[in-house]
Amino acid sequence: MNRTREALVGLVIVVAVLVTTFGVLWLQGVTWGEPQVEMEAVFDEVGLVRAGNAVKLRGVQVGRVREIAVDPGGELVRVTFRIGEGLTLPEDAVMVLSPESLFGDWQAEIHPRTRFPRVTFPEPQEADVLPGHALPDISQLTAAADDISESMLVLTERIGIAFSEETAQNIASLIDNIEGVTTQLSTLVEQQAASFAEVTDDVRQATQGIGSAADQARQTLERVDEIIARDEVESALQDLSAIAANMRGVSAELEGTNREVREMAEQVEATFAKVQGMLETVESGEGSLGRLFHDPVMAEELEGAVSELQLLLEDIRENPRRYVRLSIF
Amino acid sequence: MSIRLEGVYKAFGEVRVLEGFSLEVEEGETLVVLGRSGSGKSVMLKHIVGLLIPDRGGVWVDGRHVSELSTEELYLLRREVGYVFQFAALFDSMSVSENVGMGLQRLERVSRGEIRDRVEECLELVGLEGFGDRLPAELSGGQKKRAGIARAIATRPKYLLYDEPTTGLDPITKAVIDRLILRMSRELGVTGVVITHDMESAYKVADRIAMLHMGQRRFLGTPEEIRATEDPVVKGFIEGRPELLENAS
Amino acid sequence: MAAGVGRWGGLTAETVRSVKHVDVWSRLLLQQMAKIGLDSVPIAVFIAVFTGIVLSLQASYTFTGAVPLYFVGVLVGKTMMLELGPVLTGLALSGRVGANIAAELGTMRVTEQIDALETMAYPPVAYLVLPRVLAGIIMFPVVTALAIAVGIGSGWITALQLLDMSTPEFVRGLTLFFEPFDVTFAFIKATSFGFVVTTIGCLFGFHTRGGAEGVGKSTTQAVVVSSMAILVLDAFWAVTLL
Repeated sequence: MNRTREALVGLVIVVAVLVTTFGVLWLQGVTWGEPQVEMEAVFDEVGLVRAGNAVKLRGVQVGRVREIAVDPGGELVRVTFRIGEGLTLPEDAVMVLSPESLFGDWQAEIHPRTRFPRVTFPEPQEADVLPGHALPDISQLTAAADDISESMLVLTERIGIAFSEETAQNIASLIDNIEGVTTQLSTLVEQQAASFAEVTDDVRQATQGIGSAADQARQTLERVDEIIARDEVESALQDLSAIAANMRGVSAELEGTNREVREMAEQVEATFAKVQGMLETVESGEGSLGRLFHDPVMAEELEGAVSELQLLLEDIRENPRRYVRLSIF
Repeated sequence: MSIRLEGVYKAFGEVRVLEGFSLEVEEGETLVVLGRSGSGKSVMLKHIVGLLIPDRGGVWVDGRHVSELSTEELYLLRREVGYVFQFAALFDSMSVSENVGMGLQRLERVSRGEIRDRVEECLELVGLEGFGDRLPAELSGGQKKRAGIARAIATRPKYLLYDEPTTGLDPITKAVIDRLILRMSRELGVTGVVITHDMESAYKVADRIAMLHMGQRRFLGTPEEIRATEDPVVKGFIEGRPELLENAS
Repeated sequence: MAAGVGRWGGLTAETVRSVKHVDVWSRLLLQQMAKIGLDSVPIAVFIAVFTGIVLSLQASYTFTGAVPLYFVGVLVGKTMMLELGPVLTGLALSGRVGANIAAELGTMRVTEQIDALETMAYPPVAYLVLPRVLAGIIMFPVVTALAIAVGIGSGWITALQLLDMSTPEFVRGLTLFFEPFDVTFAFIKATSFGFVVTTIGCLFGFHTRGGAEGVGKSTTQAVVVSSMAILVLDAFWAVTLL
């Protein structure tokens, strides 16, 4: 065998080893030459974050998640990550985990704690470990929207009893709209479910918080029936305000994630705000439900709320990938 | 001592090839084994180097029981035996020189220079000087056979086994090969076993001639004795008269 | 079938035992590495180039609208590493290498060259089988690594040229679900493929009978059996390791 062939065999082996080594390092996101520091954050739970996900500061990727492990005792999850050396983190920094693209890939963002006033972070023992929180998955939001429109349907049905004919017609068409929205929403969810096997579970597993809020709403609304019958308006109004406050709370929880999620949360919150505003109108009126229900403003308010939902639905239809999680491998 | 086969039985499935074949080859002699094609001559020869193991009976070379040797011992034995294959069995991917030097490379304490010299010498002995760099595919049938002999003698074995060394060759090449076999035995004192059905060569090279028939030894004697034999099977074979054979069986 | 597996086991055991004849096989290893590995690089790379292109285009076709395009990177990377890189290379090499070994050893068997080796005190398994098996075990992963790299590369170029994707998009997909185990998995597969293709080629070559026709038969059988063995092993690793 001649020398050239021997050398070629060696060359091929060397090339293969180099390609493999550097390929693996590169795909793992190892950066060459840039010095990095290793840091940790602790969480109650970490959602779908995994090793290799991006760590972002002010929206820019500055490193990657290296390792995720449950602390001894199982109370906390410890996420180890590496970021570029010499970065100044915000004062009282926290790490927030959220979906990056709604396709199963998550990100870890470093934010000042003040941006998440309603979130309770676990407090780490060590000084340089960041407290962290995982935001709910976006698919939970779509499920919430479904619930909300259902509640609104029930609400308007109940209120409809007390309406005059004219307003009742307005409201009735509104109810049709809402019904349409709800059906479309669930059809859409079902279609998505047919396409992407995983999505159904996520959609069905709507957040406990929203679920219980909706339940409470339903129970109260059943009471409203009796109350209207007995003309106990004041206490009915108090209950309705309580529901609205609950819903607000839920929306607040969804607040402050990445941009898409935030927009979505704002839409939902705006919807809730309108419902609450509506109820406030009822409350600040002259104490007679019958009279207020003659008020065409209220019908408009409801209409606005419905169109908000309609917009949300259209968004879902146009950008289904935003709301559907898909895991291929 | 030399080579001794005793009551060797060998069958391949249903086909029984050797049925109690015995033979003793004395040191220094050239013994020719005759037999019709397919009579089991090559099978017999392969038993001597342990390429085949007898079903029954035994083969002894230098007093060593071949089928009971360990692999290492068998390889040591094979170094003393040169085997000339019927179709030369040269390694296609190697030049003639490399083929001839193969056995030498396996021996300890033989330098590259010595190997080169010995290869040259052997090629010269078989009349193939200058053919060392050729590939087997570039040789004629007779040249291949001679190269095969050169390869077999390169390690200077004590025993040489020839499997039909002259079959299918032209008369001149035949004569060259016969002379070579004689030289091996006379000049180097090699003990030889030659398998052939070519009577002309047999008479030329043989000290003794044996005949293998129906799995057994039918005849053993000097060339003179075989010429004089009245055994119809042997006579029919050496004179090329099939009718005698048919009458006998 | 059972007898065949038994023979294969016997040959494998003999091959392992032959490792002690270092002086016999060591000189032949590099030559076989060139023949089995180096000479297989062109066909493996050729296959990988087209596999990469097809994967890229088909991924984008399947994902139309519903899934973002950077998933093309995920699909090309994962499929090349986990499945197509090792398996297509293995199958191509079972044709090239397996057939070559079976034909070569088969010819040596029917022309008594293997007997000749024995008479010259060369253990034939150490001389013929071991260098080929070792070369297969070493070079299949090497060739597969190159094929995977080339396949991903061609998928990448296709994504840039024909799918209007950008490099960061493709790379994002590529790195998204990457795990170092993917590469380990590919190497485990390739190594095992190298082992079965060479041992099966040697087995059929060694047990060839009946002249040129026998050689032809052994060669065909070697290719058929080693291709089947590759697919079965592929499933085996998927079941046991994934």
